[in-house]
Amino acid sequence: AVDCLQRLHLVLAASKSPRRLDARLVELLQAVLCSPKCPEQIQLLCAAILREMAPCDGLRLSCHRIHDTKLLSLVSSVLLAQGEEKAAVSAVGQRVVKALEGRLPEGQSSRYLLPVLSNVISLSPEALTEEQINVVSKKMADWLRYASTQQGVAQPSGGFFSNPRTRQPGPVTEVDGAIATDFFTVLSLGQHYTEDQWLNMQTFSMLRKWLLCYGGKEMNTPNSGDKSEMDRSAMSVVSTSSTSSRLLPPRERLREKAFEYCQRLIEQSNRQALKKADGDLQKACLIEAVTIMDIICKQDSSYVYRAASFLKILHGRINGDATYARALLPIAQFFLNHGEMAAVDCDAIYKHLFTDIPAQLFHNSSLAFEFVLFCKDNSRLFTETSSIFRQRFPNLFKFLAWNSPPLIAEFVDILPFLLDVGTAIEIFHLLLDLPCLTAALDVQMRSSSLPSAERAACDPAVKPATCLEAFRNPLYRSAFQYLLRHAFISSFLTARRLIPLRQLLGSLASSPRVMQCADTVPVLLELFFSVVAEFADASLINQLVVLVLQRSDQLYEIPAFKDDVHRVLSSQLVMLCKLRPALVVELSKELLEFSGTVSNIQNKEPIFTHVVWAIGEYMSVSYDKRCTVEQINRFFETLEAVLFEVTQVRPQASVPNYAPRAITVLMTALTKLAARSQDLIPRVSLFLSKMRTFVQSPAVTSVYCEEDREEILTRATELMNLLKMPSVAQFVFTPSVDVAHTRFQKEVNDTLPSALRIVTRLLEPAPGFVPG
Amino acid sequence: GAGLRAAVPGRTPPVGPGPCRVLYARCFGPPPQGRLLRKEQLLAVARQVASHCHLQQASSGRPAALTLPEDPAPLHTAPGGLFQLPPGDPFPGRVTVTWLAATAVAFALVCEPHENLALAEVALRLLATRLMAVLRPPGPAVLLRPDAADLLLDRLLPHGQLLFLSQNFLQALERDGARRAAR
Repeated sequence: AVDCLQRLHLVLAASKSPRRLDARLVELLQAVLCSPKCPEQIQLLCAAILREMAPCDGLRLSCHRIHDTKLLSLVSSVLLAQGEEKAAVSAVGQRVVKALEGRLPEGQSSRYLLPVLSNVISLSPEALTEEQINVVSKKMADWLRYASTQQGVAQPSGGFFSNPRTRQPGPVTEVDGAIATDFFTVLSLGQHYTEDQWLNMQTFSMLRKWLLCYGGKEMNTPNSGDKSEMDRSAMSVVSTSSTSSRLLPPRERLREKAFEYCQRLIEQSNRQALKKADGDLQKACLIEAVTIMDIICKQDSSYVYRAASFLKILHGRINGDATYARALLPIAQFFLNHGEMAAVDCDAIYKHLFTDIPAQLFHNSSLAFEFVLFCKDNSRLFTETSSIFRQRFPNLFKFLAWNSPPLIAEFVDILPFLLDVGTAIEIFHLLLDLPCLTAALDVQMRSSSLPSAERAACDPAVKPATCLEAFRNPLYRSAFQYLLRHAFISSFLTARRLIPLRQLLGSLASSPRVMQCADTVPVLLELFFSVVAEFADASLINQLVVLVLQRSDQLYEIPAFKDDVHRVLSSQLVMLCKLRPALVVELSKELLEFSGTVSNIQNKEPIFTHVVWAIGEYMSVSYDKRCTVEQINRFFETLEAVLFEVTQVRPQASVPNYAPRAITVLMTALTKLAARSQDLIPRVSLFLSKMRTFVQSPAVTSVYCEEDREEILTRATELMNLLKMPSVAQFVFTPSVDVAHTRFQKEVNDTLPSALRIVTRLLEPAPGFVPG
Repeated sequence: GAGLRAAVPGRTPPVGPGPCRVLYARCFGPPPQGRLLRKEQLLAVARQVASHCHLQQASSGRPAALTLPEDPAPLHTAPGGLFQLPPGDPFPGRVTVTWLAATAVAFALVCEPHENLALAEVALRLLATRLMAVLRPPGPAVLLRPDAADLLLDRLLPHGQLLFLSQNFLQALERDGARRAAR
């Protein structure tokens, strides 16, 4: 039977569309599931099949007549998988609460019921009535606080002759073996556990969810459970000692017991667990306890003072211990939420969190992930300029540099909050150097794992052969320190010092971790520019353009990385020019220098091409009144010299393969400039007329393919034709500014050719072609 | 509201060619958008896990295939991690996934916001270790033994509830389970 059921399950699970089972089979499955003598394995299989079938038509299962709590749990799993019907969920909830309220039959345990309840309230918080919430809250408070501190007795096993005088079990112990000092918690150890101790563990396990669901403002219904004798208005002055707390309304009482439980857990986390797994649990408990305290304080601010002083002490205790680093996050969150109210100075806490933790523990991927989530949840903190968080953003990027794949999506969400006029330049450099940071972190880690004898500073005069040597070389020290900085320094001068270090780190450029980081940079750069575009002023835009030009050859030597970055930078350059066309005039010195350097065509073709395009497009009086004829002529001469260099055919030497796109954009730019300073027209025309010879020369035919040569020739011809009608040329190439922002300003090489083709057709009437 | 959705897909292979398969998954609530979509969502999670696993193994420079230890070692040094899936892709709400990779399979737990991720990691390691011990050789065997996986889940993650289990509680749980099985 087991075999068949397993196969049936496999068939159902593997099929994409729901299979229909014979109604009789469904009934049989249900009957078998509920039959008292059924072996557990078969029950599990029936339940699994019924769940797989959900929503199941012939389901007549009901939890009402089931008294075995384990079976009730199993049947509930089937019922809760059925569908969105709130009534069904509610029915399960009702049944479970009823079972918890009353006395269970002999041998039955409540411990199978709490998880069902937890699932019910996840699916449908309104499944429970106010009264039921109070009833359960009351029980939960008791289970949390008053579970037995004596160990349970071993269950008498079947065929053995049970000793009527069973040995008295001792008290439960702490995780370090000491006798338990206070009430029972999940960190109390015993050989066997009593029913209430199981419930204690399960109650705590679902406590957060319960408080989040029902701990908030309670509804004032007339039949709200426990009629407390205390007037509600006097609640705040009631002392929270355990005698009077019995009179608190159930939810408030639960809150109090929960708070005490969390305090106890935090104290228990101070012990050294004998088993490593228990140590891991301690840390998870600590995180949970602090989080629950935070929730309690949100729901009732009278707890804030007690919690704040307690947590400040906790922080002092664990902040030097790297194994507890993850717990620092909920502590910081607590103080962010309540610190002001508690009048506690939290700056030291935040400083430590953002300075030391990322610097030391960037490689801990779970911590990195939760840290970044913390930043996401508190993103408003980064927008305050003087804030501690904002100043330390370089440190944040260490997490991303080391753990790129899981964190890139989260950084895409955080980056906008870090960017403003003050930080943009620094972040720009940081993004471009992100893979370098990864390499530097790697060197730092390897260096710190060396024995101290090998870590001494070495002779600055000796050029380092490896990165590890460089790390100890005083001359490279400041460059490493810049890369590994934890706070905002600023200034491009410091970035220059990275050049020798960047070269040395080239040996790590092919490391997978570095390459994974490099992959994130283009995405972040595009995001960077899209955000910056929204607030950048003239000065910042100009600075960025200059930096794009300068940094384009100061990049980490990973080929794909450089290509991708060039591609992004070039299109963003165009975006900046469109945003502020006047920059072409203002930065003419830098642009002249850049566009006049022929080697740029080889090293950074996309950037070169886009710069030349921008010059052709925006170097015009329509965009900036300050544009003079002299400036136009100067640009013309520079570009002409470059084009000449590029198209020179030296019969002996081989022709370097300059991108055809660069040639066409140069020709076009020259034509555009000539259209504005018409004395230049004859020079351009003459040049363009020589392009046919260039394209047809044997040296060129061997290097460029047919299509490319065709493209160059066609473009040269179109431009020449255009120049025959100077006034038309002027119109085409110097549209009014509003026209400029519409159809023409798309892709560099797209719209202009089509415009040119239209004009050419106008000039050379093809048979049958009628304009308009 | 969405119920706690904790699924444990095993999938093969962690690295190398070949598609990803969900060998076993358990959800603790009805699929809000239907059964088929639920299957696709789980497959999407599995693919993400495979991708993260592959990337992490590449970046840590570890050899791809590890030999399976004879005794069920606690998978302390197994590759693993955390990542988020944004709302709408593939689940309606934001979820966090904790994952762990063994030789031929990987395991994952899908958590809702407001869950204790440190505890989830502990729970996942525990589940994975137990499951690997029960199903030998690991991998497709679990397809025919959903009851074995269900048994473990009902014990260690009942109705999707993460439990704060000390080693002692764990032993007590397993003793109970063994006693029941012996009957």
